Amino acid sequence: MQSNQTFADLFRARGVSRRDFLKFCSLTSVYLGLSPSMVPSIVQAMENKPRTPVIWIHGLECTCCSESFIRSSHPTIEDILFNMISLDYDDVLSAAAGHQLEDVRHKIMKEYKGKYILAVEGNASTKDDGVYCMVGGDSFLNTLKETAADAAAIIAWGTCASFGCVQNADPNPTGAAPVSDIIKNKPIVKVPGCPAISEVMTGVITHFHTFGTLPELDRLGRPKAFYKTRIHDKCYRRAFFDAGMFVRSFDDDATRKGWCLYKMGCKGPTTYNACSKIQWNAGTSFPIGSGHPCIGCSEPNFWDRGPFYSRLAEVPFLGSDSNADKIGVIAVGAAAAGAAAHAAATAVKKAKSEKLDNDKA
Amino acid sequence: MGRLIEEIYVWRLPVRFYHWINALCTVALFVTGIYIAAPVLNPPLGEAVWYKGLAWWRYLHFISAFIFIGNFLFRLYWALFGGDRYARFGGFRPWSPAWWGKPFREQVESYLFIRSEEPNYVGHNPVAALAHFIFIFCGSSFMIFSGLAMYGENNPGGFSEAWFGWLIPLFGGSYTLHFAHHLMAWIFPIYVIMHLYAVFRHDVVDRTSVTSSIITGFKHKVEEEPG
Repeated sequence: MQSNQTFADLFRARGVSRRDFLKFCSLTSVYLGLSPSMVPSIVQAMENKPRTPVIWIHGLECTCCSESFIRSSHPTIEDILFNMISLDYDDVLSAAAGHQLEDVRHKIMKEYKGKYILAVEGNASTKDDGVYCMVGGDSFLNTLKETAADAAAIIAWGTCASFGCVQNADPNPTGAAPVSDIIKNKPIVKVPGCPAISEVMTGVITHFHTFGTLPELDRLGRPKAFYKTRIHDKCYRRAFFDAGMFVRSFDDDATRKGWCLYKMGCKGPTTYNACSKIQWNAGTSFPIGSGHPCIGCSEPNFWDRGPFYSRLAEVPFLGSDSNADKIGVIAVGAAAAGAAAHAAATAVKKAKSEKLDNDKA
Repeated sequence: MGRLIEEIYVWRLPVRFYHWINALCTVALFVTGIYIAAPVLNPPLGEAVWYKGLAWWRYLHFISAFIFIGNFLFRLYWALFGGDRYARFGGFRPWSPAWWGKPFREQVESYLFIRSEEPNYVGHNPVAALAHFIFIFCGSSFMIFSGLAMYGENNPGGFSEAWFGWLIPLFGGSYTLHFAHHLMAWIFPIYVIMHLYAVFRHDVVDRTSVTSSIITGFKHKVEEEPG
C-alpha cells in the first residue's frame, strides 16, 4: 500500500471521476451539517491531506456498529473500506489474523504515533483484571489502554463504548465500563446508538480528516451535528403528538394510520440522535417509521430505564416493581391516612380534656 | 366561647397574593403534568393538522411554570428584602443547634400528643417553617431547575438549555430527569394534604382564624374561657 496517499489519489486510482469525487464531498458536507461554502475545504482536505490511519478495536460488543458501518450508503461500503479511511487494523474485518494482525497494530502505533484515530467498538470488562474479555491473548482492558496511549483521538462507537449499553446494565457482572471511564487523558468523541447510524459514523471520521479537529461536542461528548436534537424534534409523527392522537395498542386503527407512539412507550422525546433525520439503510426507514416506539438506544443506561413499552420507568419499591405514579399515590394515601389518624387523636384528646374540665367544675 | 381580644395583621397583601398564585399554579402544574405523562382523553376526530390537543396541555404547563417561577422569585425577594416580620426567613436557622432546641421540640411534642398544651405562634411555628423549607423551597427549586432543563431541550442552544442543560448529564440522561421531575411532583399533593389538615386543625384547636387569615390577612387572639 502506497503510504501518505490522499483520498483523491485513491479515488483516481479506483477510476472514480472527479465529478463523482466532488459529489461525494458535497454529500459529506450535507451530512456534517456544514454550509455549502465549506465544500471547497472538504475537497481541499480530500485532495491534499494523507489519509488518517484508523485502528478499530473490538471489546465487549455485538458488532452491530460494524454491521451498521458496512451499510453506509453515502458513501458506500466499498468506498469506505478500500478508499476513504485507512482502516489499518480491524480484527473483525481484516483478512489477516493472529500475530500478523497484532503486528500491524503495533506498527501503526509506532509509525503514526500521536496521529492515528482509535475507534473503539464495545467496552472493556474491568472486573478481575478484565478477564471477561480476552482478545489476541490479552485482556481488552490492556489492549485499550495500550492503543489509546498514542492515539490522536478516540472515537467511541455505539452505546457500548460511549455509555456501557447492555454490558453494564444492572447488575453488570463483568464490571463493563465505557471508554470514557477508562481513558481520561484523550479527547473522546461518543457516537452512541445501538448501533450508531452509519452515515453518522462516516461523517465523524470525515470531519476529523477535513478539519484536523474533533467535531463540536455536546455536554455528553457527542457530536452536536448529529446529537443536538431529539428524535422527537424531527419526528414525522410529531403532528400527531401535538394533536393528542396516540396509538393505544399495537392492533388498533391508530397504528394503521401511523399516529404517535408516545403512549406505547416511545423514548423519542428523551433520546438524542439523528434517526428521524438521516434514517437507516440509505434513508429507507427508522424504528418509528416502521411502527415501533423508539427504545432510546443512544441514551445512557437505556436498558435500566425500562420497560420499553411504557412511558414511565419502573423502579424497585417496597420489594416489587413500581412506577412514579404508584409510589406517589401510595405516599399521598399515607399522608391522608396520617392526617385522619391525627385528627382522630386530636378529637379524643379534646374530649378528654373537656371531660376533665367538666369534672373539675 | 372565648371573647375576641385582639386582631393581628399577619399576612400582608403580597404574601396573600403569593400564596394563592402559588396554590393555583401548583394545582395547574400537577394536573397538566400528570396529563402530559399520560394523555388519557380520546383523540379528536379528523386530521391532526386541525388540533393541538397535547400541545395545549404542554403550553398550559409551561405558562403556569413561568408564573410559578416568577411568583417564587418574588417570594424570595419579599422574604429577604420585604421587611415583613412574618414573611422573612430570618428566624429559620436549621444549621444552628439552638434552632432545634426548646421551641421546635415543644411543637413536635405537642403534635405527637406528648405535651398537653399547644404552643401558639402568630406566624409560622418551627415545624411549619421546616416543612415549608423542605416542600416549598427545596421541592419548588428542584422542580424549577429540572423543569427548565427539560424546557431547554425544546430549543438547543437557547437560554434554558445553556443555563440549566447541565442537569441532564447530572441525572444521567433526559429520561431519568423526566422521571425525577415526575416522581418529585407527588410531594405537592402530599404537602397540600398535610398543609390543609394542619391549618384546619390549628383553627379548631387554637381558634386563631388561621384558615380565613390567608384571605383577610388577620389572625385573632381569643380570651380563654374562664375555667
